[in-house]
Amino acid sequence: MTNPDYELDVRQILREGGEPFSAIMGAVAALAPGQGLRLLATFKPIPLFHVLGSRGFESSAREIGDGDWEVIFTPAGGQSRGAVAEAEAAPDKIGAANETWPAPVAELDNRDLDPPEPMVRTLEGVEALSPGQTLAALLPREPIFLFEELKTRGHLWRGALEPEGHYRVVIRRG
Amino acid sequence: MMGTALSRWSMSYFTAALSFLVGAQMLMVAGYGFPAMAAEAPETLVLVHMVAIGWLSLLMCGALFQFVPVLVARPLRWERLVLPAMICLLAGLTLLLAGFLQLAGVFETGISLLALAGTLLPAGFLLVVGVLGATLWGAGLPLPARFVAVGLPCVLVTAILGALFALLFSGFLPALAEIDFRTQALPVHIAMGLGGWLSFTAVGVSYRLLPMFMLSPDRERASSRAVWWGGVAALLLTALTPPIAAVLLKTGLPDATSPATVLAVLFGMACLILYGFDLAFFYRHRKRRIIELNSRAAQGAFLALALSAVLLLGLLATGTLDQHIGALLYLVAFGWLSGLGLSQLYKIVPFLTWLECYGPVMGKKPTPRVQDLVKERRGWIWFALYFLGVLAGTESLLVDQPGLFRAAAAVTLLATLAIVVELVLARRLANVPDGRRLPEGASRPRLFLPRLPLNSDKWRPQ
Repeated sequence: MTNPDYELDVRQILREGGEPFSAIMGAVAALAPGQGLRLLATFKPIPLFHVLGSRGFESSAREIGDGDWEVIFTPAGGQSRGAVAEAEAAPDKIGAANETWPAPVAELDNRDLDPPEPMVRTLEGVEALSPGQTLAALLPREPIFLFEELKTRGHLWRGALEPEGHYRVVIRRG
Repeated sequence: MMGTALSRWSMSYFTAALSFLVGAQMLMVAGYGFPAMAAEAPETLVLVHMVAIGWLSLLMCGALFQFVPVLVARPLRWERLVLPAMICLLAGLTLLLAGFLQLAGVFETGISLLALAGTLLPAGFLLVVGVLGATLWGAGLPLPARFVAVGLPCVLVTAILGALFALLFSGFLPALAEIDFRTQALPVHIAMGLGGWLSFTAVGVSYRLLPMFMLSPDRERASSRAVWWGGVAALLLTALTPPIAAVLLKTGLPDATSPATVLAVLFGMACLILYGFDLAFFYRHRKRRIIELNSRAAQGAFLALALSAVLLLGLLATGTLDQHIGALLYLVAFGWLSGLGLSQLYKIVPFLTWLECYGPVMGKKPTPRVQDLVKERRGWIWFALYFLGVLAGTESLLVDQPGLFRAAAAVTLLATLAIVVELVLARRLANVPDGRRLPEGASRPRLFLPRLPLNSDKWRPQ
């Protein structure tokens, strides 16, 4: 009934200093219903467990030698990502100012990245959310380019400058 | 696709600016204007204004339209005036250059081109100041924005004095002919333009850009605030001394011009020293160990600024400032301002191109990195050549070797052309491997025009 796991090897990308997140999310988006993802990486990608967990994937990781890791993401209960996303779809579209948002599924610390990486990582996180879910990100400064992109994509955000000088934003996927 | 966070016309400003830089350098290589001709010859004035307005001011305007909104975290106000401003500036500058050629006797017309230029250029700068001033107005201004806020009145003073010269040259305002413009107003025109508008603003922008790209702590430092106060004091002294001295002269009171000038120079020097400490702090305390070419090349510009200060002091001490003012202004304009401008364009252009092209697919699809848009290994050769050429040019001016100067100018011209080619390649995404260049949903930017229609937000897919 199910397709074999889709295999994605991001070790080369990582060794070249690249950022494999978008490749992974691209692969996840291309999975058939019920299909799992077999990921090969050079470290145990713990942040990814949260992100994909929020999209209904269970993960199992094992070290395969030379410090490399194999992680298998399996759709929970054989559900496809789409079905989970639909089930979790937010009931309301536009949040009122005083509405309570769900707790962020991930906290990204993007303060020590050079531009535009803080924005890229934040948007990658947002694109991995299901509608209605939220994500928190720490950014080096008030991110006006990011706000522009969030507006265009129909996401909501709340943010403020923190006393330490950085900016904390909570984004809710629209 | 452009959101409102991307300044729509900045790339057009940059293109016009680079064209004037290349044009001016070609004239220098051809031996046109200073040093083959006198510093006050109309031919030299053509050259000087191609650099000061055509290259440096258009560059600064384009950069500020993009960065002032980032500095104060709010969108550009009255954005529709940005294009008319550029048209006024370009038309005004063309008339100004034609007016100088008229003075040089290259051609004759019955119309006073200089007077027309003297109207259009201040109008253009007024529009620029209006847009930027309205954007700054009412916002809590962080320190870099406060530098810009000082630069804006300076460019207006420069433009208004320039317009007065233009009217005077055209035979209007005979009442003003009594005033000795060359000794009283011209130094203010130069100091406000190169110092207040271009340098002070560039210093302010560097306070944000350098920490941003090197990940240095960018909290306001007491020394940076002192640079601002010292600079404001030096600029005020420079601008107000001549009119006050003129009034004092009329009332028979003793002339205090020299002490005021000395004080202005002292304030200026103190600023530069503190600025040097701030820069050293940014470079030393950066979190990013390997910095990109724009930050490395900018060090050449900072070195040129320091050398300019040393040269100024040396010329003042030896009483040869009048004789060598050309060399000093060349080092300031080409080493410090143009060096900084070119090095930052090397980052700004790929960065804006990347945002314009990949912004819509960011986080959804794999995209190249901003660094993939340029080939730094090639780029640093051009910057090294550029600064070597400028140093050699300054030296040949100091030792009065016009032939050598032309050879040195040829080196800077070639280096500039190479940097322009690199910018075009970045804009064309030519350095990005074929397979990764245009993921689905990304759109190839135009070379220097914004995407139409102008109301970009309305046609963006929501």
